[in-house]
Amino acid sequence: MKVRGLAVLALAALGAAALAATAGAGSSGVTSSQAVSCKSALKLALVTPLTGGGGFIGQEQLSWAKYGVKNLSKKYGLKVQLVQVDTPVEKGPGEALVVSQKLISDQKVVAVIGPATSGGVASASQALTAAGIAQISPSATRTSLTKGANREATSSFFRVVPGDYVQGPTDATYMVDKLNAKKVVVIDFQEPYSVGLADAAEVVLKKKGVSVSRQSTSVNTTDFSSLVTRVPGDADVVFFPSQQPSDAQTFAQQLLEQGKKAKVFGGDGTNSPDQFKVAGSYVSNFAPDISGIASSKALIDGWKKDNPKATLGSFGPPAYLAVEVALNAIKKACDAGKGQIKNRKDVVKHVKKINLKTSILGGPFRFSTKSNDPLNAKFYIFQIQSNGTYKLVS
Amino acid sequence: MDTFTQLTLNGLTLGSVYALIALGYSLVYGILKLLNFAHGDVFMVGSFIGFGTLQLLGGSTDPVVPIWLLLTLITLTAMAGCAVLGVAIERFAYRPLRDAPRIAPLISALGVSFFLAYSMQLLFGAEQRDYDAFSLGNGVLFLEGFNIGNVRVPLLRIVIIVSAFVLMAVLWVLVTRTRTGKAMQATSIDREAAAMMGIDIDRVIVFAFVLGSALAGAAGVLFALRAPTFASIGFLAGLKGFTAAVIGGIGSIPGAMAGGLILGFAEAYTQGYISTKWSDLLVFVILILFMLFRPQGLFGKADIRKV
Repeated sequence: MKVRGLAVLALAALGAAALAATAGAGSSGVTSSQAVSCKSALKLALVTPLTGGGGFIGQEQLSWAKYGVKNLSKKYGLKVQLVQVDTPVEKGPGEALVVSQKLISDQKVVAVIGPATSGGVASASQALTAAGIAQISPSATRTSLTKGANREATSSFFRVVPGDYVQGPTDATYMVDKLNAKKVVVIDFQEPYSVGLADAAEVVLKKKGVSVSRQSTSVNTTDFSSLVTRVPGDADVVFFPSQQPSDAQTFAQQLLEQGKKAKVFGGDGTNSPDQFKVAGSYVSNFAPDISGIASSKALIDGWKKDNPKATLGSFGPPAYLAVEVALNAIKKACDAGKGQIKNRKDVVKHVKKINLKTSILGGPFRFSTKSNDPLNAKFYIFQIQSNGTYKLVS
Repeated sequence: MDTFTQLTLNGLTLGSVYALIALGYSLVYGILKLLNFAHGDVFMVGSFIGFGTLQLLGGSTDPVVPIWLLLTLITLTAMAGCAVLGVAIERFAYRPLRDAPRIAPLISALGVSFFLAYSMQLLFGAEQRDYDAFSLGNGVLFLEGFNIGNVRVPLLRIVIIVSAFVLMAVLWVLVTRTRTGKAMQATSIDREAAAMMGIDIDRVIVFAFVLGSALAGAAGVLFALRAPTFASIGFLAGLKGFTAAVIGGIGSIPGAMAGGLILGFAEAYTQGYISTKWSDLLVFVILILFMLFRPQGLFGKADIRKV
């Protein structure tokens, strides 16, 4: 009885502590917009995980956003200050809403680059839109943010990369057409990102006549031994849309350990050459390897000069594009307001109308008239080489 | 049959680690009647100490010592570091509350747990740390070993299982065959009577924390050799260790060992034969069932009081 009483007490205390830890995401406060002079330093906020498990994404985005502000503020004749806002994935999606309250109350914040994660967008978009702030995400790909009857993002949200409605089918088509997959295991991690992406891929695989086995595991799982045991010996591919590249690495190694021949195919969340490097595996991403785009060479050289130790990846260049979209719209709002931004909503209007003849990702850039998604954007597929580098294969 | 063999191997590997964690809970509970909820975070710190030591020794791709020595050194360093941490936790978080109402040290334990998790996150970031044991000797630990039927038993699993059982055996000898171990047993039966018999209670308690925390450190390393670790991993690992201790009978050393293995097998068979979705849920269902129907666990004794 003593043990049971104490243990029940302890579990209750643990539960209360966990609940308390999740609290803090307040209601969406709206601050009416005041006119801001374009001669003063305008603030552009980058909302992304700079630390924690997703830190590798945020740091890459930060280096390109900094470079974008430095490069493009001159081009557009603006004084711009980049505000770095950390939203570690471990704090949950609600953190984006918490930090947004501060941004909303600062009238100098005229646009947000981000939130970087789909969960962050779903959490903060309503409050930011109510305050008239444009959100331009360089990496949030969840389909339901911009599509479907229950859209999670609001009208001021834009993304410069395509959503999972492109990624899932692209990955599935590649598995069938190029890898000749007949049997595929599709895994999700019981959270919205992977479930949406796994669903999108599964539909296409089944349509193409592939035998699909769907598995699901907790997002907290780090030892996948028993999940690997469930992978049939004759499976060709395991679709593994985790948000942790090191999980994909562990899973691929445990497949080898148990003598399974299936190739691991990760989504954009596993795209990290430093962490996921099992040769022969595949990853998709919303941005190409821009080192192959001639018109982007000067930008890459300039970025490398500022970041000599950094490796060129796929998460950074879309952040540069997002900054370009934001500054272009801010400039137009300033011109329309004769030297001032009368209302932050004016920036939103000009974001929607953006029309760049060329972008860092290659080709022209504008948003679809039907949704705030990029027009004609696609996903790219990389194969991991024996030296750990990613080779663009589609 | 191969699936059953593989799942048994998976369960044995995982269960060995859970057993080591559960032993720490049981040792401390046996002596102090305290549920040390910071124990899972000591496990996490152990995995980080092991990671740091591995990097100091050249990392997994270019180690400066042979693999067997490397594994021994990272395990021993983590055990030593966690033993010191355990002593510090006892000295500063629990000893001042030894005579306070029982809820006080429990809350203190939760505080220490959060303190350790967030301190590590602040100091080292929240990203996952991968030992990359696969790179040691070009995959020898994963790809070499022996076969049972068509199932390969890799060297790394052998290392983990054997190390865990050796540590449990050493603990068993320490507790049953040494003077300090017998003092621990006496203290767990009746602390006041033991003190009156001349046993240095403070020393016994510190020794329990040293042993329990060192085992958690070893468990941290053994776990992280197969899966990435991160600052908040201790919460779930601790809960699983606690569940294992409850299954076996919290306070009972053989119970903790058995509880860990039972939990490991239950998780593996559930994932393999039912669904990977349900394994975490299963752990807590087992915990609730034991709390309701057999709170003393499999090896514990019912606490009957005369009223």
